[in-house]
Order: sequence, then structure tokens, then C-alpha cells
Amino acid sequence: MSLFSLFQISGSALNAERQRAEVATSNLANAETTRTAEGGPYKRHMLTFNSQPASQFHLLLADSLGGGNTPPRGGVRVGSVVEDNTPPLQRYEPGHPDADADGYVSYPAINPVQEMVDLMGAERSYELNASAVQAAKQMIQQSLQILK
Amino acid sequence: MSLLDNPVIAALSRALDLTAQRQVLLTQNVANIDTPGYHARDIDFGQELQRALSSAEDEQGDQDEAGRPALVREVPGLVERPDGNNVNIDRESLLMGQNQLQFQTDVALLRSEFSRLQEAIQGGSTQ
Repeated sequence: MSLFSLFQISGSALNAERQRAEVATSNLANAETTRTAEGGPYKRHMLTFNSQPASQFHLLLADSLGGGNTPPRGGVRVGSVVEDNTPPLQRYEPGHPDADADGYVSYPAINPVQEMVDLMGAERSYELNASAVQAAKQMIQQSLQILK
Repeated sequence: MSLLDNPVIAALSRALDLTAQRQVLLTQNVANIDTPGYHARDIDFGQELQRALSSAEDEQGDQDEAGRPALVREVPGLVERPDGNNVNIDRESLLMGQNQLQFQTDVALLRSEFSRLQEAIQGGSTQ
């Protein structure tokens, strides 16, 4: 495990947090969407995060070097995007083109506050990982100083 | 003991190795800050350095012991969030900063050691 693997680890987290922010933003943008290609109102999306196993290369390298007591693990990976199956909110708007026979319109069950909090969390985690990349860069540059 | 095979350089290079390994673990913890069920992992730096140095001092030169990777364990005493993750953002960023400065210190010490050797090689001449 060299210092260069730090970039891979932090990079995976940056990618995952960016996707999380994208999903939260898309939920916010579609908070009032009553019509989708699949029919019915927009459904809230969620991400699941998994801890990423080390790449095959790293495992083989660790093996050939005598093997560590724990296999090196990688960063984080977005497992899947799942839909939230909370029933849609019903609002009485008889004049709305998507209203049903009783005059109720189905709106996505999206809480803007919840999405904003999620967005802020993703942003902070992104920042933290970006500073981890800075730290890795500095350490590698410093170790190059030994050669001078 | 030859000029280049000096205990200070050996100790510093081991310390640098361990610091780099620790940085990888800290980065992994930070990367998995939102992964449900993930537990923070770390090495006991002081203990590992002690072990590496004492095995290096052994005249038998137990290479296996010296080359053995540091023991990685889960950090005890951290509070687990409802999703089963126990990464503490303050602990990780604090340790990351500390680890970085430690790396910088070790590099500076190693450089000064090398420049002293260089001076000895050149016989103190100013060229």
C-alpha cells in the first residue's frame, strides 16, 4: 500500500459524495413533478453506500509481498440507487390537469428540508475528502524532498 | 556499523513507513464516513514503532518480524451512529493533520541526517 493509493481511496469517496449530492438535488428539483415517463408522480431516489474491496491488483500484490494480516481495503462505492416507496401526497386541486376523479393530485413525498440536510452532509463529506487529497499530495511532495 | 547503515536512518525510515500506512487507514475511514456499518480502523503507532525498532536491534536480524506489516485493528470506544457507522470526523481530521506533520518532521530529520553524511563525505570542504 503506497501513498499513491490514497488518491484512489479519496477519489472514490469524492465520486460517491458527488452522486449523493446529485440525487438530493434531483429530488429537490422534482419535488412538485406530477408526471413522469413511468407514469404517476416522481419518486424520491436514495443511494446506498458500500465499503469497496481492494482491487484485484492490490490483493495480489499484498499476497506476493508476504500478505498482510488484513487485506487492504479500498474506499467507498455507490451500491445502488433505490426508489422511496412512500405513498404520494394527495392534494385537493380539482383544476389541475393531473387530478383524479375526486379532484386529488398525487405529489411526490419529498421533504425539501430532509433533502437540503442530505445535500449539506454530502457537501461537507466532499470537502473533508478533498482535504484528504491535499494531505496526500503534500506528503508525497515532502517525500520527494528526501531526494534533493 | 557502516556510515550509511546507521540506526537513526533506519528508525526514521520505519517511522515514515508507519506514518504512510496510517495515512492510508485514516483516508479509508474518511472515505467511508457515510458507509453504513463501517467501523474505523487504525494502528497503534507507538507500539508498532517500538516493535519495529526492537526487532531491528536484534543481532539475529529477524527480518520476518521487522518486515511484518503493522497490526490493523478497529478503534475501540467510538460511538456508533444508528446506521452502524462509528467514524468520528473530528478524530479522523485531527489525526490526519497530526500524521501529516509527523511525516514532515521525519522527512526533515532524514534530510538533515543525509546532509550531515554528505558533509562527512566531502570532508567539510565548502565546494
